[in-house]
Amino acid sequence: MLSCRGVGRTYQTDRGPVDAVRRIDLEAPDGRFVAVIGRSGSGKSTLMAMIGGLIRPTIGSILIDGVDIWALDDNAMARFRNRRIGYVFQFASLLPTLRAIDNVALPALLDRRHAAAEAYDRAAQLLADVELGTHLDAYPSEMSAGEQRRAVIARALINDPILLLADEPTSDLDEQTEREIMALFLSVNRERGTTLMLVTHNLALASEAEQVVQIADGAIVP
Amino acid sequence: MASPSVPRWLLGSLALQNLGRRKARTSLLVLAVAISGAIAFAGVVMMRSIEASITVGFSRLGADLMVVAQDALANITAALLVVEPTDQTLDANLLAQARIAGIGRAASQRIFRSEQSGFGGHAESVDLIGFDPERDFTIQPWISERLNRPMQPGDAILGAARDLPLGSEIALYGRPFRVYAKLGRTGVGTHERGVFMATSSLLALAPGIRERTGQTPPMLEPDKVSGFLIELAPGATELQARFALLSHLSGIKAVSAGSLLTGIRQGLTALLGGVLALVSMMFASTAVMVSVLFSAIVAERRNEIGLLKAIGARRAQIVGLLLIEAIGVTSAGGAIGVALGALLLRLFEHSLVYYLTQMGIPFLWLDRTNMVFIAAACVFGAALIGAVGALAPAWRVSRQDAYDLIRGEG
Repeated sequence: MLSCRGVGRTYQTDRGPVDAVRRIDLEAPDGRFVAVIGRSGSGKSTLMAMIGGLIRPTIGSILIDGVDIWALDDNAMARFRNRRIGYVFQFASLLPTLRAIDNVALPALLDRRHAAAEAYDRAAQLLADVELGTHLDAYPSEMSAGEQRRAVIARALINDPILLLADEPTSDLDEQTEREIMALFLSVNRERGTTLMLVTHNLALASEAEQVVQIADGAIVP
Repeated sequence: MASPSVPRWLLGSLALQNLGRRKARTSLLVLAVAISGAIAFAGVVMMRSIEASITVGFSRLGADLMVVAQDALANITAALLVVEPTDQTLDANLLAQARIAGIGRAASQRIFRSEQSGFGGHAESVDLIGFDPERDFTIQPWISERLNRPMQPGDAILGAARDLPLGSEIALYGRPFRVYAKLGRTGVGTHERGVFMATSSLLALAPGIRERTGQTPPMLEPDKVSGFLIELAPGATELQARFALLSHLSGIKAVSAGSLLTGIRQGLTALLGGVLALVSMMFASTAVMVSVLFSAIVAERRNEIGLLKAIGARRAQIVGLLLIEAIGVTSAGGAIGVALGALLLRLFEHSLVYYLTQMGIPFLWLDRTNMVFIAAACVFGAALIGAVGALAPAWRVSRQDAYDLIRGEG
């Protein structure tokens, strides 16, 4: 269960405070596919980052699986992000000096719950699941944008998260690749039961979601 | 599906790979640290070697005190410890008559420096040192090899730097001498190239010297000596003996090897302190440079660090990653610096040290253990520079929100 209670974020700028997100209340049960839509600058990504534990809200609280994530200390928050949240960014977010398999295994290695061999076996399986079984040793520069995005999805799933956040993950991909990536997200959501929150401009994609949240000027449009 | 290869230290290798991404910058940083390391290593080893040369040299002389003519203090102290002859003399029976308490043994020495002895190269300066073999306790203990018989009149003992075989004959002022023994390396100035002989043998040279120079040097008068080396009686203190000497005898100065050593050591310590201060400042400036450079590196890699935080890297892991990079590059610089420093020392050995040795001032290198220790300290210091320099930027970036880092803000 994802629960946002009066969540807001205000940025201090030279021209005074700017409210990027204004006291948003949002509930999403486990396993749901939630699409967040809105124009550029509406506050979608900031909301997503606060839910993903990447930026602290200036007001309100966020509960994931009953845990008030912003009440956690630094280490506990890092552990929570690592184990419970998968994040797919809107840019190619693989570390360029690591092979695909290293990139995918990295979150598991950071956690140190599992032996390295176990993490690598799982990373190899995930890469095979996203049809990159032959690219284990490929470096990001040797992969296409779509392949990189699939590798990022595999990385997001390495620790079996309960919440998968995707911030415009297909914005820089062609239509065919976008369809493939979206199919992958939907299969993760439906087959693994992972809660999926997807920020998108694409209304056709959003129409497949069970819950659509429209944001304008930092607030949910009723 | 092929079994994946598992790297042992992914974060460590990630740090090293990051360094490899900017080879020119990494190389310059390594070079900067290497130069500091080379200067530090070579500087400290040289200073320690100089200090060790003098310390070892002095301690091997074996005397607790030296009695010399008051006016000749500066020269004669040098004379008896680093062999700088002087014309100032004392009466040969000065100590015997005075019967000073606290003195165990007293050995007289006569030291005469000559350019006309005919020994060595043309006009080579040779220190001729006369001593009483029966009473001597500072020269004979340093004999490293000798003929298989007691020392006799007409025998000479050569300093370690004289390369003549035992039993060979040398001529001093036309008089033949047999090389009876050779001293080990004392590290004491011109002792290394000195010619030692019984007092009677030295005095026997007086006619020959007078014939060539037109005068008899004062220390070659039968009743004169250059000074006395004194060993304290058991239980006597240096202070008591000096007080007794000064209160009973006039026109003398009692110089303790200890205080002399202390004086020179203090001078050297000040010099060494200066070198260390310079090295410390150099290290500090290198640390500042590393810090500035790593601030730039961190700024350049904010997105990547934000990403690592987003996938669950803890602050300690972020700091650790950056510290591994910094320590890796500065340690490599330190190790290369030690190698460069060793090359510098080789240059010293072939220039300055060779020159000093030619001048009769032997140079004793620091022993291997201490050199290895200093080398290790230099590499450790370089690693420390990396850690200290990168700590602040690493700490700052680890505190920032992942989202701000990814978006390049904050």
